[in-house]
Amino acid sequence: MNVTKKQQRQRTLKDAFLNGLTAFSSMLSVLVLTILLGYVFSKGIGLVNVDLLRNQYWSKSAIVAVEEGTQSGTFERPEDLPKEAVWSEKWGIALIDAVSHEKQALVLVERVDENSVFAATVDTSAGPNQGKSYPVVPGLQVQKIDFTDQQGNANFTGMLASETAEEMVHALDQAVSIRSVFIKTPGGGIRGSLIATLYLIFVSLLFALPIGVASAVYLNEIAKKNRFNGLIRSGIETLTGVPSIVYGLMGVSVLFPITAAFGATTTNILLGSLTLAIILLPTIIRSTEEALLVVPQSLRDASLSLGASETQTIFKITLPCAIPGILTGVLLSIGRIIGESAALIYTMGTFINDSPSLLSQGTSLAVHIWSVMSGEQPNFELACAISILILVFVLILNLTVKLISRRLNKAWY
Amino acid sequence: MENCFEIENLNLYYGEKQALKNLNLSIRKNCVTALIGPSGCGKSTFLRCLNRMNDLIEGCRIEGKIMIQGVDIYDPKTNVVDLRTKVGMVFQRPNPFPMSIFENVAYGPRCQGIKDRRILKEIVENSLKQAALYEEVHDRLHESAMGLSGGQQQRLCIARAIAMEPEVILMDEPTSALDPIATSKIEELIEELKKSYSIIIVTHSMQQASRVSDDTAFFLLGEIVEMDTTRMIFNQPKDKRTEDYITGRFG
Ligand SMILES: Nc1ncnc2c1ncn2[C@@H]1O[C@H](COP(=O)(O)OP(=O)(O)O)[C@@H](O)[C@H]1O
Ligand SMILES: [Mg+2]
Repeated sequence: MNVTKKQQRQRTLKDAFLNGLTAFSSMLSVLVLTILLGYVFSKGIGLVNVDLLRNQYWSKSAIVAVEEGTQSGTFERPEDLPKEAVWSEKWGIALIDAVSHEKQALVLVERVDENSVFAATVDTSAGPNQGKSYPVVPGLQVQKIDFTDQQGNANFTGMLASETAEEMVHALDQAVSIRSVFIKTPGGGIRGSLIATLYLIFVSLLFALPIGVASAVYLNEIAKKNRFNGLIRSGIETLTGVPSIVYGLMGVSVLFPITAAFGATTTNILLGSLTLAIILLPTIIRSTEEALLVVPQSLRDASLSLGASETQTIFKITLPCAIPGILTGVLLSIGRIIGESAALIYTMGTFINDSPSLLSQGTSLAVHIWSVMSGEQPNFELACAISILILVFVLILNLTVKLISRRLNKAWY
Repeated sequence: MENCFEIENLNLYYGEKQALKNLNLSIRKNCVTALIGPSGCGKSTFLRCLNRMNDLIEGCRIEGKIMIQGVDIYDPKTNVVDLRTKVGMVFQRPNPFPMSIFENVAYGPRCQGIKDRRILKEIVENSLKQAALYEEVHDRLHESAMGLSGGQQQRLCIARAIAMEPEVILMDEPTSALDPIATSKIEELIEELKKSYSIIIVTHSMQQASRVSDDTAFFLLGEIVEMDTTRMIFNQPKDKRTEDYITGRFG
């Protein structure tokens, strides 16, 4: 065939254009992902620390009183105290300036000498704890300290007067006696949501795993290939495509009475778990079936030829061989649980609960993000910080899945 | 001499296709019977009839009788699980379970409900000794069987079958996946085992058939062309097709 120079050139040009297009597209998607991750990390990384995991979300206020008659003293500044902390020699307390995740200036307690009056305060707030010991401890925010000054007048210092740690310690030097302290526990943490998420993972898998594995075993190993079982199978496949918000609606209307029988009065974590269990079933069935399919027929044959019954073969050989694949399904499910929000908003509510229990409301990490973003002042930093945690977790899960499936491929022959 | 299997008018169909055509033969006890023939002639199919492994194949239909100790194994009253404890099987590719060597051999007895560790240990050791594997693995019984060589794995599979104390051991081309040294070890083992068991072995190697077997059946297109002592088959075959096949002039 005769190919002219022109035709040749045209082809080279066309090829170069198409190749360039694909390269550009892939570059673009990588770029978008990088920007996204970069944004989330730069915004949130400042908040990711142990306190975020440990602290409660809602801060609690209390007014603690100093017992009368107690005196000031001379307290030496501890040597290991950070430079930024301001030490009150007279009262044995160190204060430090900080910034809240809402960008407000805070004054926190950094250290309290064990002989200081602040270590022997009692709770004055009305309630069961009134009169009980409530010492001022590091980490608390100091809203206000009431004291009597040298002229015998009542006076106060603290964050309410927009004072810094330095100014407060200076004011305290003028004090003759301390009367009471208005303190606030640190908030903005995700401890409650973390616990609620763990609840969700355990309880939903507790239901979904045995039922899902058993269904897969039935469909794959026991059921005859007839129309009825084909129907069941396609039914399960359809379940995969249902949007989770529909499951959420079903959870509230159909499953709520079940949790109500256990004494639930509001939407609750158990309801969320049950709904999630249903959402997870198709995933678990599917991955278990896939795991069962790759178990070599020769192992089943070997077992049967040794006089094992078909049930023994399933439970002693086929299922154990499928465990890595089932584990993959479990990890994928955990990823799904962590990422789920729509179905949970209906079934568990959006109230961030610092002490969640099975029958109380609570938020998963994803719903926690939703909650802090849907207020009047969306909290981008906190949302990004939680997103980082979720991303890291999902990354670890995915790597583990990869590792397991690589193992799985090596296991036989 | 007693027979371990008596087969009468055996026909087998895979769906519409007939794979075994009116087989009539007896298999002698405590002998090695070789099944030879070109591939696709139904040797494996026949072998799998003898422990009812064809039951699992959908669309497989069987007519006729296979008698073992005067009982038809396809009689509805026959318990398949019992049958398979009497008729063990070794497959073409070594297929140990992904468990320890010990657990592989103990698997069959355990399935029958034997739990006593002392008894199991005894069974495992005896079986491994009979399969000429004990010397090689006695110090790593609790390591994974997947770490053994192909030949060792196949002997482990034989040990696993022996652990059930079967009367017959079926072997479907047990050496086709092995190197010559491992093959000769298995052949020596078969020589030893026939003192205690009846062995039916499918092989595609004429030399193997003539080396290890007492009787030989020649299969062709689902039929038995000729069955006789191995000496007769290899020295004075009665059928022209047999002669062609064993002299390599076939096809
Ligand atoms: N599971 C099966 N389904 C349908 N046909 C089969 C099946 N197994 C074997 N066959 C057919 O039966 C015939 C005999 O096969 P097989 O017994 O494996 O032969 P051999 O072991 O002698 O090589 C072949 O034609 C094969 O295609
Ligand atoms: Mg074959």
